[in-house]
Amino acid sequence: MTSLIIVSVLAVAVLYLGLFKYKTALLPVSVTGLLAAAAMAAMDWDLEKMYFSEMMLFDNYAVAFSILLILTTLLIFGLSRNYFEKISNNVAEYYALMLFALAGGVVMVSFHNLAMLFIGIEILSISLYVLAGIRRKDPASNEASLKYFLMGAFATGFLLFGTALIYGATGSFNLAAIASSGAFESALFRAGVLLMMVGLSFKVSVAPFHTWTPDVYEGSPGLIAMFMATVVKTAGFAAFLRLFLMAFAEASAFWAITVAILCILTLFAGNITAVFQDRFKRLLAWSSVSHAGYLLLAILAVGFSASSAVLVYTIAYSLASVAAFGIMILVSRARGNDHLDSFNGLARTNPFLAFTLTLAVCSLAGIPLTAGFFGKFYVFKVALAQGYTWLVVLAVINAMIGIYYYFKVIIAMYMKENANAVAIQLNPGFRLVLSIVVFLIFLFGIFPGLIANIL
Amino acid sequence: MTLWLIPALPYLGALILILAGSKLSKQMAGIIGCGSMGLSALWTGVTGIAFLSGGREPVRLQLWEWFDVAGWNPGVTLYFDSLSLVFTFVITFVGFLIHVYSTGYMARDEGFNRFFAYLNLFVGSMLMLVLADNLLLLYLGWEGVGLCSYLLIGFWYQDPANGAAARKAFIVTRIGDTAFAIGLFMLFQTLGTLNIGAILAEAGSALSGDGAASWPGGPAGATAIALLLVGGAVGKSAQIPLQTWLPDAMAGPTPVSALIHAATMVTAGVYLIARMHGIFELSPVSMQVVSLIGTITLLVAGCSALCQSDLKRVLAYSTISQIGYMFLALGLGAWSAAIFHFFTHAFFKALLFLGAGAIIESLHHEQNIFRMGGLRKELPVVFITFLIGSASLAALPLVTAGFFSKDQILWMAFAGEHGSLGLWIAASVGAFLTALYTFRMVFVTFWGETKTPVTHRPGKAMTIPLIILALFSLLAGFIEVPHNLGHITLFSSFLASVLPSPELITDSLLMEWMSQAAAALLTLGGIGLAYEYYVRNPQSLAGMKRNTGALQRFFHSGFGFDRLYDSLLIQPYTWLARVNRRDITDSLYTGLARFSIWLHRQSAQTQTGILRHYLLGAAIGALIILTISIFI
Amino acid sequence: MSHFLIVGAALFSIGLYTVFSRKNAILVLIGIEFMLNAAILNLVAFGRYDRIDNEGQVFAIFAIVLAAATVAVALAIIINVYKQYKTIDPDKIKDMKY
Repeated sequence: MTSLIIVSVLAVAVLYLGLFKYKTALLPVSVTGLLAAAAMAAMDWDLEKMYFSEMMLFDNYAVAFSILLILTTLLIFGLSRNYFEKISNNVAEYYALMLFALAGGVVMVSFHNLAMLFIGIEILSISLYVLAGIRRKDPASNEASLKYFLMGAFATGFLLFGTALIYGATGSFNLAAIASSGAFESALFRAGVLLMMVGLSFKVSVAPFHTWTPDVYEGSPGLIAMFMATVVKTAGFAAFLRLFLMAFAEASAFWAITVAILCILTLFAGNITAVFQDRFKRLLAWSSVSHAGYLLLAILAVGFSASSAVLVYTIAYSLASVAAFGIMILVSRARGNDHLDSFNGLARTNPFLAFTLTLAVCSLAGIPLTAGFFGKFYVFKVALAQGYTWLVVLAVINAMIGIYYYFKVIIAMYMKENANAVAIQLNPGFRLVLSIVVFLIFLFGIFPGLIANIL
Repeated sequence: MTLWLIPALPYLGALILILAGSKLSKQMAGIIGCGSMGLSALWTGVTGIAFLSGGREPVRLQLWEWFDVAGWNPGVTLYFDSLSLVFTFVITFVGFLIHVYSTGYMARDEGFNRFFAYLNLFVGSMLMLVLADNLLLLYLGWEGVGLCSYLLIGFWYQDPANGAAARKAFIVTRIGDTAFAIGLFMLFQTLGTLNIGAILAEAGSALSGDGAASWPGGPAGATAIALLLVGGAVGKSAQIPLQTWLPDAMAGPTPVSALIHAATMVTAGVYLIARMHGIFELSPVSMQVVSLIGTITLLVAGCSALCQSDLKRVLAYSTISQIGYMFLALGLGAWSAAIFHFFTHAFFKALLFLGAGAIIESLHHEQNIFRMGGLRKELPVVFITFLIGSASLAALPLVTAGFFSKDQILWMAFAGEHGSLGLWIAASVGAFLTALYTFRMVFVTFWGETKTPVTHRPGKAMTIPLIILALFSLLAGFIEVPHNLGHITLFSSFLASVLPSPELITDSLLMEWMSQAAAALLTLGGIGLAYEYYVRNPQSLAGMKRNTGALQRFFHSGFGFDRLYDSLLIQPYTWLARVNRRDITDSLYTGLARFSIWLHRQSAQTQTGILRHYLLGAAIGALIILTISIFI
Repeated sequence: MSHFLIVGAALFSIGLYTVFSRKNAILVLIGIEFMLNAAILNLVAFGRYDRIDNEGQVFAIFAIVLAAATVAVALAIIINVYKQYKTIDPDKIKDMKY
């Protein structure tokens, strides 16, 4: 709870720092504040405290995901020096908006009441609508913002309507009360669950509600797209799983088949469309869609092993995405675009970047010795334990397709030449963040037990 | 407990050398390489003393749990008992001496730093192999050893022949590795664990119960697993039928050969069988197979060694032959005898290879023994140490370590519960052959007239390891002396807590004396014959050469195994590959790719960029979901 | 009770139709607001049965506040889009595809 307060206050403080033109203080203050927030969140470990008449519950699940969200934001902030300055004069807005979005994310992973879920999602989304369109002079950014907003608000409609129906069926917004209401047979309840599923599916880009994803990722500034792919996706899935775990687990018989169908659709939509994508940012957007499919596998297996599978997966995915988007930003800034050809010869000019990106896409593809391998491994494992063998088989086929398009960028970097490529300059922030990411991907790829057994 | 330092130090050295290799001076690289090995050896000594002076209780050290799935949690866990101690000691100690020697041998090589990085990685992997608590980790070390042997055999990769030798070593051992891996799968399927202790406990309880019948997989399962493990061991330890890679592996720098033959790699198979002895005891068939493989190998390799003209190839075949003895002992159930022979063999074989390296280096990379000669006076230190090593290899009675270890195997072949007269005769013939080819090599190299002038002499970094190893080659045998000669059983009683000792069917003192006398006579006879032909009366050899040319060529080619495999396996395979240039199985993948392209086009159509379409798609999706749920 | 539900469902459907049929981003926004208000209406209606702590009504107020915030952001975005494209027809804003 303290961490949520710190994040919120930090956002306001950053806004005021911007107002009084303390631009140089923005980053240090934000980083210090986030570190403090992560530390405070860690203090809540094993306390299981309820807040606001049971509307929030800081259990270990909430703490683990809060820390993940905060630390991912920290990594993104590490890359942001000199980034926003190029886009706009009001740098403080970025930090403030991202911090507000983070606050929304923390609420989303710690809610114990549908009202808090709704508020968390809205805080996160409204900040993001603005962030997506923050390049006010750039048509693509505007288009992204408009599409994201209209689709997002549309989804909110479904979510809210679903919430209302569940309230009608069970008479409560409290997760525990819903779980014990026994109203699982009523049509009202079922419709409510499915409408909420639709609403949440939008937010985490599950097919067929994913269509905004590539356009919005492409139009948004790179760091914002990175934020969407990591923090937003993690928060969305943590909320999705938390809701279905704590409130709807008993009724899984009727929604499981729907989730399974969505899972297959998402996997194929994401992977197949990514196969021949030749712009790296869109490719990452499609891959983010496909990762939503793998994560849905874990939702199917409701139970606490599902939480740790989702945790491992989101950690691995966030780390790899930070590296992949970060390098995409560097390359497109230096070479003008993010076309795959722009990566040609990167291994020769920037071996460190090429290595990092290789590691990141290997992790996304789920190659052993990277964190991503164990992400997939645990997700498949929990799905298998629930008897979804056929689903796992399909997912493995998709993982193989994934390797095809992920390796295209490796081939470009290592096997294709670019005669007039010059080395890309790295600022210390990038160097530090990418090194940390490389270290962590290896660390969790070799010692998955460090993160797999904490929930 | 700081057991982990033993494998960690070489790995650390390798890591530093790989990351900073290009920036370090040769001197620095040598210090890091040797230093990490030396510390590791030192630490093995400290740990070993603590182990000996303590209760000799096995130590299990869980470093971390790799992952935990459905009750299976392979940990990175080290296990240290007397068997591990013997191997660890040999690996680190001999490895350290080889490292020191390499600083001299490789001093003028450009790839000096790379060489030490590989060498350290090699030793680290081998240590991981012998210290692993579960077979998965052991397999990791096993593969690491395979990889490093590939890198080191092909170290001078500019010459395509070396690359081919490296590939051959890798591919041939890979056949064995595959068998090993399948064996591991079967073990896991049968028992649900790969923990060595658990497997042995299971096997032990089966053995004390109704034998193999009470093994979860039945007698056939136990035999299958044992034979698959033998398959892996045969590959790594270069036994028939997978022995062909080892003679070619001489392409690597000589210290690598020493390391492969003495301390690492080839002994991995021996370790594996000794470590998993419980499963073999369940399956008499597999024991017989092991002893048969060993016997055939020791004879075939002995004959081949007789006809080689390349100094290193003589040694290579002698290694195959000596490992054959170890396999024979393993097959006889004489576990500690096999390990004892490994122990002494490590010293004298490392000594011989390092000595051979010194000779080759002094003669400007001349390897043909018939172009050597008269080196007795030119290289005195090398001569004396090499002679000691050869004597030990030939098992010169009473004074050499090789005698005591080989004698034990011979006696077990005769008197052990699985022994037989046939095995004893074969092993004795092998002993005779060993003496013959060893001293043929010695006499041709060191006696006679000088044929190639000595260009420079080995430095202290090379001679000191030779002297130390020579001392061990003489003295290491006295820790285990047969009971009619003094009855010292330090070694076997040390291992007794891990490896059971075989029962003897005869313990007649007379028979033991006779066996020893026969072996001694055969050895001396072999040496005498070599002296007769190669020193006193070389002319008589020419006549024999004429008469037995075909046989000699056959022996020289290692019984034609290479040619056999070439025509039996490689040529049909390459033919198939040529015919199937446009791989039929590929059409499956190209078909999949085409299908993906088609699907991609379809799915890309959905990305019109028009928001209304997106919204409509989403709403239809929601509608379908709601409809489906009505029907469930 | 069922009257409220019917009105709610009708409002939701009208909202959906508006979203699909209008070629003006502001009208699309209004359609979305319809959908939200349908849900809010339901919340208040169901709140009648939850007299203990009036959760439904409280939630409705939260939802209204958030919807207002959304509209504020939305109008800002739409104005910006208009500056760039000189139109607010979502169908014409389709530079990014495939």
